Amino acid sequence: MKNKAPEMQLDMTPMIDVVFQLIIFFITTIDMENKALETKVRMAMSPHGPVEEKKDPRTVTVDVERDGTVKIQQTKLSDGQLLTILTKARATSGGSTPVVIRGDAKAKHDDIHRVMAICGKAGLWKIRFAALKEKA
Amino acid sequence: MARERKRPQADPPELSMTPMIDVVFQLLIYFIVTLHPVDVVTNLDVFQPAPDPNAQPNDKPPQLLRVGVLFDGYTFNDAPMRLEGIDKTLAKLAEKDAGLTLMIAVSAHSEHGQLVKLLDICAKNNIRSLSVVSSPN
Repeated sequence: MKNKAPEMQLDMTPMIDVVFQLIIFFITTIDMENKALETKVRMAMSPHGPVEEKKDPRTVTVDVERDGTVKIQQTKLSDGQLLTILTKARATSGGSTPVVIRGDAKAKHDDIHRVMAICGKAGLWKIRFAALKEKA
Repeated sequence: MARERKRPQADPPELSMTPMIDVVFQLLIYFIVTLHPVDVVTNLDVFQPAPDPNAQPNDKPPQLLRVGVLFDGYTFNDAPMRLEGIDKTLAKLAEKDAGLTLMIAVSAHSEHGQLVKLLDICAKNNIRSLSVVSSPN
């Protein structure tokens, strides 16, 4: 009588290990902040601009689209709402809270100036314009 | 005499690598397809930070230059000038005087990209003392 060959058993452990390692890696490295900044805004190029190594956690980023729409974290805001948010930011983080204006290259300066004026009204003076240093 | 029985030797269990490689390739393809490269962003300062209270007062008034950003071009000290010309002039002036002060008057009808290009030139020539004012024209 012939001996039966032992049944082949697939060891799932290393496969599951690899999959979990990959899942943990991608969950921890996912850049949620940049996801929130994904907008229609096409910024102008500034190849000589300084690279900010340490970002101030208090920074408020305001998007100004080509048609003058003002957004924070992809939420459309009226001038009054923007003023309320910036006034609150000043009250909690102080007047030196940086405001980064991500303006579309084709946006009219009038719309950018409107945001700058609201910043001034809210008591925030540290204004910066975001631009693209390097296109991916 | 007892007969010696030969025990059948069991084959060593083999680990099938195929499903593992399948999964890894699936994940690899997924992440390559969904990969979204991130642009490198820079922040251009618009307003000068507060002056140093310990700094010695300078008798010499700072050299103030006016650059205008209009919807159809630029002006340098009220004379129309191309951006390349402004770049060269600022580079020469910045070489002579490190404490150059630039006043940028921006027309409300100009595009934001024009101002960013000018601020980029200022960053290139290391001009940090900037003041941006908006004009209705």
